[in-house]
Order: sequence, then structure tokens, then C-alpha cells
Amino acid sequence: MKKVSQIRIAGFGGQGVVLIGTILGHAAVRDGNWVSGSNAYGAQARGGSARSEVVIAREPVRFPHVMKADMLIVMSQGAYDQSVSDLSRQNAVVIYDDLLIRPEDLPDAIQYPVPATDTALKTFENNQVANVIILGAAASITQIVSLEALESAVAENVSDRFKEQNLKALRTGYDMGEKILSGRE
Amino acid sequence: MAYKEIDSVLSPGNYYFSGNTAAAEGAIAAGCRYYAGYPITPSSEIMERISIRFPEVNGAFIQMEDEIASICSVIGASWAGAKAMTATSGPGFSLMQEAIGYAALTETPMVIMDVQRAGPGTGQATRVGSGDLMQAKWGSHGDYQPIALSPWSVQEMYDLSIEAFNLAEQYRTPVFLMADEAIGHLMERMDVKPGLRIYGRFKQADLPPFGMDQDDGVPPMPAFGEVQRLLVTGSTHNEWGIRKTDDGSIHAKLVERINNKVFNNREKIILTEELYLDDAEVVVVAYGFTARSAVFAIDQIREEGCRAGLLRLKTIWPFADHYIEKIGRSARCIFVPEMNRGQIKGEVMKYAGCEVASYNQTDGEIIHPETIIQELRRLF
Amino acid sequence: MARDLEQYLRPEVKSTPFCPGCGHGILMNLLLRAVDDLKIDMKNTVFVSGIGCAAWIPSPNFNADTLHTLHGRALAFATGVKVFNPKLNVMVVSGDGDLTSIGGNHLIHAARRNLDITVICANNMIYGMTGGQAASTSPLGALTATTARGNIYRPFDLCELVKGAGAAYVARYSVTQPVALMEALKEAFSIEAFSFVEVLSPCPTQFGRRNSYDSAVDMIKMLQGNCISREEAALLSGEELKDKIITGVFWNEKG
Ligand code: SF4
Repeated sequence: MKKVSQIRIAGFGGQGVVLIGTILGHAAVRDGNWVSGSNAYGAQARGGSARSEVVIAREPVRFPHVMKADMLIVMSQGAYDQSVSDLSRQNAVVIYDDLLIRPEDLPDAIQYPVPATDTALKTFENNQVANVIILGAAASITQIVSLEALESAVAENVSDRFKEQNLKALRTGYDMGEKILSGRE
Repeated sequence: MAYKEIDSVLSPGNYYFSGNTAAAEGAIAAGCRYYAGYPITPSSEIMERISIRFPEVNGAFIQMEDEIASICSVIGASWAGAKAMTATSGPGFSLMQEAIGYAALTETPMVIMDVQRAGPGTGQATRVGSGDLMQAKWGSHGDYQPIALSPWSVQEMYDLSIEAFNLAEQYRTPVFLMADEAIGHLMERMDVKPGLRIYGRFKQADLPPFGMDQDDGVPPMPAFGEVQRLLVTGSTHNEWGIRKTDDGSIHAKLVERINNKVFNNREKIILTEELYLDDAEVVVVAYGFTARSAVFAIDQIREEGCRAGLLRLKTIWPFADHYIEKIGRSARCIFVPEMNRGQIKGEVMKYAGCEVASYNQTDGEIIHPETIIQELRRLF
Repeated sequence: MARDLEQYLRPEVKSTPFCPGCGHGILMNLLLRAVDDLKIDMKNTVFVSGIGCAAWIPSPNFNADTLHTLHGRALAFATGVKVFNPKLNVMVVSGDGDLTSIGGNHLIHAARRNLDITVICANNMIYGMTGGQAASTSPLGALTATTARGNIYRPFDLCELVKGAGAAYVARYSVTQPVALMEALKEAFSIEAFSFVEVLSPCPTQFGRRNSYDSAVDMIKMLQGNCISREEAALLSGEELKDKIITGVFWNEKG
């Protein structure tokens, strides 16, 4: 892992973007990292968009907000269009929902389409788990956090009623990410 | 009584908390068992966390009808023996000012957390500012010396919350934790160590509760129901609390003591953090979230060969006058970035004796590291 | 002050600060008499008061813990004392302006919460300490320092207000009705819930002098004449009730 990873998660309100930001942060702490996370509140979240930022580091985080994201998890076209201009120039990773986003050509970034919403609808009949699916996929693609840490963070942050389904969705996403990676190699 | 070591309330380990949650946990760790408050953005999560956690630690939580009632009931609870607190933001902090003066004069320990937002007025409730610092200093009528702390991380929301309670009890005075929205809502790793250093209230019953004989100027404070038959009044009083509203010399002595017990102990109270001061030509004086941007900016600009340093104020009041004087003798310039119109810059100018530059931003956004880098470049 | 009640006073406090003829002295006596009758443990009692003449009834006179607070906020302070340490008896003694005007919001919320706090509101119908300005309890037409042509606003009916807000016990008596008033005070102290006693207490200095009650005796006579029981009131017409002050127990949760 790099010394400092700056991750931006973006989508529209109601997709659970803030929740997976929190889960990712929790998981990264579980793995022994230093983490800072913040969410876009109020006027920053204009037009029904939602944004969560997580900075993960091997030592205490100096500046706690994302300056140039080197990883973008994105779940809506609007958020994609807004966020890609703010990516780091060095091999940024973009993980996007392939049903909701038509990607641009980004010469400095590696982009991974993930069928998160599609799988949420088809396999789980619940688009509310698309967020956890894409997070699982992002974790296996980038190895930013361990699956075990993610599982315990999901268990801690999701209410009992939805826990089981979310854990399943997380693993589905994780497996999906592995396949996507091996498909590339 | 004095400091003693106790076990931490939360199990030792690493947590991922918001600043507001961490502040609530710090209060609980410090022994706070009375909370009264009124909802206000962006501080409400402190109250919500306390309301969930207090039943587990046998604390008394009450949501009051307004901020005035909240702080007044905190004073009542403090005299009933509680370590007690309230939390609020700018408008609520304004409402509390009269009672803050009452607490200062009656020497009532308590902690007030102000998660600052963009003011004045209702301003922008969800956005950040740090415009309440002068209010913390001068908000109530008359002369008193407040203690105010400024956390820059979630970890410090916890650590300085504990420190705030310790100082409140040790000096028998209201203490402010002057957080800002950006820290209150930030989530970060927070480490809980196994042991805590906690100040227990000094309660000796046969000494006058408002007397002048203690070396540190802080008399003992027994609680209601502990047989002493306390007299507590916000009017001028003698050492046993009897109202003395005609004798000017008694008033002068009382005001002098409540000021001096903080001011004369300021070298013990003031906490700062220094970075690269040995060789710094330009020193950034910063606090709260802005200091996070400053640290980043300073590292960056030093790579460009500019010798910048940092004095971070963890204690805003009493002001770190001697630190500034010292820096003023070695540095060429002091730079003060603030999310207000220059509240601390004015204090720095009083003591610096060197050039003082500032950057002030009041648009409800944090000051970005890039902005500080640009401002610093101009000073080199 | 009766000799046997002196044990309830602080030995170091020599005299009460009230004007000659002020009703607060009578109230203070009756209050301590009730404390004595009920054998209330002063060591375990906290008297909380606000600002104003009536706030000086307990502070510094009573030999108990006394918390003399900010104007209007006595009930907020008292709430903190009681909620943190429910074993303490908490009694609030203050004036009408303090408890019902600047402190009105705290009064209704304290009643709503129904904590075990006893409130004794000395109602002199005016701001005494600050020099006789109109209060939220001044009668229609009353002459005060701020209503030179007579008060044009209706006064609060404090008992109805507090009853409506949820108090467990609500009564009103005048210091000219000492026997009934003492019974009410004792009942209020005994009830383990929010109880409120409004006590009409004459202020000859500020109210009397401006409203042609030239002596303290005139004010006492006025109260004696105007205070009638609820039973008597039921027999009178609206016109006949005009200047009357209805006294009695207005609500007792215990029935
Ligand atoms: S001003 Fe009125 S209420 Fe105050 S002490 Fe004098 S008579 Fe009593």
C-alpha cells in the first residue's frame, strides 16, 4: 500500500455513499492504519449528490481531507463528471457502476467497471446493496483494506435487519473484484 | 484532592469516531456525569452520544428547553457534586454568556463545548467558522479569565475534553472546548490508552469555599447536602458566600482572585505544539482545523527551501503571550491564518514585536493547505 | 421571627432586608413554620432563588444550602441540582417577575417535567427591587413606574398557567390567610412531584405607594378584602369578581 491513499466516494443521495465511506474508514482502522474521513454536508452536497472522503495512511494523517483522489468509487454520472477532474495524475484508480455511468477516456487513470447496481437488482432484488457491492469490489481490486476488516465494519455499522444481506453483498462484490482483476491480467 | 490515575472507561484500543462522538467519550472518561443541552447544528451529535452512553455509566442526562436553561442546570448540578457539561454552537453560546459570568464569579467548574459554525446571527449552520473565540474571552460582562482549548483532531476532541474537565475542576472555573464544525464532523482514528489522569474535586469542608488562602488561589468546593450549608450567590460575596454588595474592596479582591488564579497559573495551563521553530524565519500561528492545513503547507514549502515553522495553540485562553514574545525575537514574521476576521491575530500583534501577517476566510469553508502555501510564498 | 424558628436561620445573618410592612417577612415565617412542622431536614435541603426581593427570603437567611442564581433561572438551576442528586429536597423561593416573566419558559417546562421540586412564588404584583415597574402579574389599571396611566395588559393567572403545564399541585393564598397558606405550603412540601404555591405578598413600598394604599396596613386590608375562596367566587357574577383574587387549591393530583 502507498504511504497515503486518498479515496473519494461519490454518487447521489440515497445510494449509501456516506455509509460505505464510514465502513471503509472503520475497516482501515481495524487493519491498523490511520484514517481520516469526512462527508459533504449541506450546500456542498448540491443537486442531490453525496460525497464521502477517506484518507488512509500508515502514520497519523496530516491533512484530513482529500486533495487529489487516487481512488474514486463512483455511482452516478453526475458525480463521475464532477469528480474525474480532481484525480491524481499518478495511476489513479476509478471504480464505477457500469449500469449508471458511461466513462470518459482518462489517460492517467485505470478504470474498472463494476456491475454493482445490476447485481444488486438481479441477485439481491434490492438496489440498496449496490454500495456495499462496489465497496467489496474496490477492496479486492486495490487491496486497500482486508476482507475481514470490512466484514467486521459492516457488522458494526449496518443495523441488524440488513446485516446478513449486506455481508453477502460485500462478499459478492469482493469476488467480483477478483474476477475483474484476473480478467485484465 | 489532586490528580489520580484511573482506568479508561472505553476499552483500550483504536476507534473510528467523529469529533463530536470523541468529545462525548472524553467527557465520560473524565468523569462527567451530568449533561444538559439543547439541539443545535453542528454540535448535536455530542448530546446524542451522551444520551445513549449515560445510562451505561450512571450519568444524568436532560434535554432542556433552551441553552440558558441548559447551562444554568449544569451549574446547579455542579454544586450538587457533578462533573457537568453542555455543548452548543454559536447562537447557543451567545445565550449562555450571562451564566458563564455567573459560573466564573461563583467559581463553578463546568465544561462548555462550542462546535463553531459560520456566524454571526444564524449565519450558516452547517458550515465551519471560528468566530467565537473573542466571545469566549469577553462574552459575559465584567472581568474574568476563561480557559479555552482548541482541538485539531478527533484524538484531541477526546484528549482535550478530558483536559477541559481536569482544568475546570482544578481551577474551579468554566472551561471551553472551542471546536469547529470541520473537526466536530471529521471522522478519524482515535486511540484510547488504558490509563487516565483525572483531577478529583478538592472538597475540604472546614475551609471557606470562597476563601483566599489556598496557594493557587483555588478554594475547596464541597457539594450541596454535604453538611456545610453552602451559600452560593452570583452577587459579590465574602469567603463564606455571604452577599457583600456595598463594600467595593471586597468586590475588587474577589475579581482579582478569580482572574489571577487562572492568569498567574497560565504557564501551567497553556498547551502548545511547536514545529521547526529552531530555524523558522516565518512562523505560522494556527489552531483548530486550520492548523491541519498549516502543517501540510509548512512541510510543502520547506521542500521549496523556505524556512517556515508552526506554533499550534491548543490553549487559546489564557493566551500564550510568552510564546509569541519569544518567537517574535527570533522570527522575521508571524503569519496567522484564521476562519474569522483576525481574532487571534490581534492577540499575536500585542506580543509579537515583529511583522504580523494574516489570512482571513469567512466563507464557511476550511482554509485549504494550497491557500496557506500561496500566502507563505508571498512572505518569503 | 419566633424564637423556636431561629434554629433555621444562619447565626451569622442578623436581620432580614425587607422594607417595613413587606409581606415577605410573613411568608418567611410561615415557610419555616411549615418546615418545622414537617421536620424537614435542612441539612438535606437546597433552597434555590433567582433575583429580586423574594429571592432574598432564603438567601442568605436560611441555615441550609442556598443557591442564589441569575434573574429568571432559579428553576433551571434547581433542575440540575435535583436531576443529579434526587435525594436532595429542592425548594425554589422567588418572585413573580423572576419566575413567571423572565423565567416563564423554565416554569412551564419544569411543571411539564414534574420533577419533585416545590416552588413558592411570592407575588407582589410589581418589580419591587428595581423600583416599581409593571410586572406580568400587575392588575389591569395598576399604576407603576412604567405604566403611569395604568397597566393596559391583563395579568397572568399563574395557577392556571402552571396547572395547564402539568404541575401536580397548584395553590394560591395570600399572606393574609396564614392558616390556609401554611397548610398549602405543607402539602406542597409533602408532595413528591412538581408543586406550586403562589403567595400574594404585599409590597407597600412600590405597589402600595403608587396605588393609593398609603400604609402597609392599607395593603393588608386590600388583600383581606379582595382575596376570596373558590367557593365564594362561585357565587359571584363576573362584574362582582372584577377586583377579586380567587384563592384556594386549584389542582392536586392526589385528588
Ligand atoms: S420593595 Fe416591596 S417587595 Fe421589596 S422588600 Fe420592599 S416592600 Fe418588600
